[in-house]
Amino acid sequence: MQTGTKISLAAHGFLVSWAALGGWFSSEPLPIKVQEVAVISAAEFAKLSQQTQAPDVSETPSSLAAPDPAPEPPEVSMRPADRPDVTPPESTAIPEVEAPVPAEPQPEPEPEVSDSLPDPVVPPETAEPLPPLPDTTEPEALRPADRVAPVPVEAPEPEVALDDLVQPEVSPDAGAEIAQEVQEATAPEAASDRIVTEANESDEAEPAPPVTAPVTSVRPKTRPRRPTPTPEPATEVAETTPEAPEDEAQSSAIEDALAAAIAGGGEVAAPEPSGPPLTLGEKEALRVSVSKCWNVGSLSSEALKTTVEVAVSLERDGRPKVGTIRMVSSTGGSSGAARQAYESARRAIIRCGSDGFQLPGDKYDHWRDIVMTFNPEKMRIK
Amino acid sequence: MRRKLTALVASLLLAAPLLTSGSAALAQNGPLRIEITDGVIEPLPYAVPDFLAETPAAADLANQITRVIAADLNGTGLFREVPATAHISTVSDFNAPVKFADWKAVNAQALITGAVSVNGKQLTVRFRGYDVFADKELGAGLQFSGTTDGWRRMAHKVADAIYSRITGESGYFDSRVVFVSETGPKNDRRKRLAIMDYDGAEVQYLTNSAALVLAPRFSPTGDRVLYTSYESGFPQIHVLDVGKVQRRVLSADNGIMSFAPRFAPDGKMVVYSQAEGGNTDLYTMDIATGSRTRLTNAPSIETAPSYSPDGSQIVFESDRSGSPQLYVMAASGGEARRISFGKGRYGTPVWSPRGDLIAFTKQNKGRFHIGVMRVDGSEERLLTASFLDEGPTWSPNGRVIMFTRETQGANGRALLYSVDILGRNLKPVRTPDGASDPAWSPLQQ
Repeated sequence: MQTGTKISLAAHGFLVSWAALGGWFSSEPLPIKVQEVAVISAAEFAKLSQQTQAPDVSETPSSLAAPDPAPEPPEVSMRPADRPDVTPPESTAIPEVEAPVPAEPQPEPEPEVSDSLPDPVVPPETAEPLPPLPDTTEPEALRPADRVAPVPVEAPEPEVALDDLVQPEVSPDAGAEIAQEVQEATAPEAASDRIVTEANESDEAEPAPPVTAPVTSVRPKTRPRRPTPTPEPATEVAETTPEAPEDEAQSSAIEDALAAAIAGGGEVAAPEPSGPPLTLGEKEALRVSVSKCWNVGSLSSEALKTTVEVAVSLERDGRPKVGTIRMVSSTGGSSGAARQAYESARRAIIRCGSDGFQLPGDKYDHWRDIVMTFNPEKMRIK
Repeated sequence: MRRKLTALVASLLLAAPLLTSGSAALAQNGPLRIEITDGVIEPLPYAVPDFLAETPAAADLANQITRVIAADLNGTGLFREVPATAHISTVSDFNAPVKFADWKAVNAQALITGAVSVNGKQLTVRFRGYDVFADKELGAGLQFSGTTDGWRRMAHKVADAIYSRITGESGYFDSRVVFVSETGPKNDRRKRLAIMDYDGAEVQYLTNSAALVLAPRFSPTGDRVLYTSYESGFPQIHVLDVGKVQRRVLSADNGIMSFAPRFAPDGKMVVYSQAEGGNTDLYTMDIATGSRTRLTNAPSIETAPSYSPDGSQIVFESDRSGSPQLYVMAASGGEARRISFGKGRYGTPVWSPRGDLIAFTKQNKGRFHIGVMRVDGSEERLLTASFLDEGPTWSPNGRVIMFTRETQGANGRALLYSVDILGRNLKPVRTPDGASDPAWSPLQQ
């Protein structure tokens, strides 16, 4: 079959197929525009058509009727009613008054000073009464509190007297059967937990972010006593002794020696305390009670760099035996600074222990002898 | 399953020694140990009943001396007087035993007793200090003798002794302050040198107001004062003998401006600024011979020099970096190292008598501050803030700083203030008129 015949057959076949099947593949109908119409009557149509006709306009305008008279406007004064009636003053003769002639300004006198230098500075012959010194204390507004304590307390009411004890005010009640003594309300002095200088007052106004870090850490426990070694021949000991003793062993020996010294040196050692030791809470309560009385405000800067260890023995009622208070050791300062630091620590123990520290009586053996380390490092940076 | 059981048993066996040692650690060994790290900072309460008048003529003075002692101690901010109305005990005999229990009851932690006698012009003051809670004396009792004219100084000396025994550092009450007294409006201010006790008492004027005077500075012994005067029309350094009120010009070169003088710790040399040819540098001068040594040679302005207490170094102000900052160099000159690096401008540095701190004036964000920093520039601490604070000077013991504070406006006035090195106890110093440029003397001999 020739190529032309093939093409012709194909073309005709396609044409016949399209003619036969074209109606099956109808395309989508084109969108139809729809116009909404309403049916109206002839009278309505005439009425609508009538409005489009131009109105008849007469050649001469008719006279307009006068409008209704508007209500009379209120009479408005051009001046505010409260303005004073100002009338120009009549010209009157100015009375002749003799104006005071100002005195010529005198140069400021210079008291106590002349061209010549004053006499040499000598004390007065007689003692003059001392003028009262002005109250130079800074207004309270400049300082949150004069007292800097680790834990701030709420400021007492202004009329409340400052005292270590908190007690309510008691006033005599006329109707009471039992007469009560008049008692003034007292409260401890307000305290801050830091020193606020004038320069950082504005910073202090903003609340500090909450501190989430632990405030204190538990002091590491002392190393437990090692069992007493069984005596062995010296030669064997020499063989087993390490060349360089460990640091832990040294510190343990120091601890033991210190404990022995505190217990009385060569005297008979105190019996080992038995029973459960003080809990962390009981130790913390003791620590806080001493802290409240440890005043470092009057210490020198060198004493504030000195840490002292103070040993004290307590009575069964928790009161310190004053005679047993002594300084065990000091670090960081001269002997003079250590003495100042020790005195402040001693005062803290005596003052806050005067009523007896709150300690569990059944654990007396554990707190009979105490070594307190007073470390002012945190107080120095406040 | 067997493997898991084996692992569990093994771990328990391994942990057993640890648990045993842990429980052993809980057991107390030796005395109970606690560490106190938090204390309180508050004035120490003390009692000072009126000193006994041992002679009829001493009655008034006894009371006045007691009040000056109390004012000295209270003014430090470190002590608080227990009022006489709260006293339970009375002291009727200077040598009688003290009833410590009575003073403990009113929470007086220190007690000062004393006696005063006057014979003619002779005044004798005796005193004792007690540590009430230790039931013992604070050192031995002391006695001062002198004339009745010097009763205030004797009171200051008693307060110094008490302060020293309680705090462990020397006092600063028996000292004086030289300053520039200012009178008149701001546009016509008259200035003259004046000297007074540290607490504002006993004011004496050293010069008249004919010429402008600036920046007086005490000698290490307190007997002479250096200051800058415009008496000749341009600034020149004068030295004044305080006792004799005699003065002389130290730098007499016409046309050369010299200012900002300060004594060396040995009292023989003076360091100062000299402006010549539009450039200001630091010089030293031997007071006896007048010989000078140039310490700096830079196109910038070097001024406000101050010696370290040992005389080996000098801190000064320079704008060589573009803005006024603080520098430290050897007392003989040479390379200087910058120590101030905070924001703002630094000036008028003064080395502490203790040698550990440098006080300065700082200007930042339109406010003036008095501050302190360590000699290497670390630990800068601003103590004050106001419209204008400047010119710090140290108390003899290095615990307190006095400075000038000027208020704003046409009626602004300059006054003296003091503050301790922690920024506490900020208070004005009493002066009869306006006052500026204070310089604190050493303790009087």
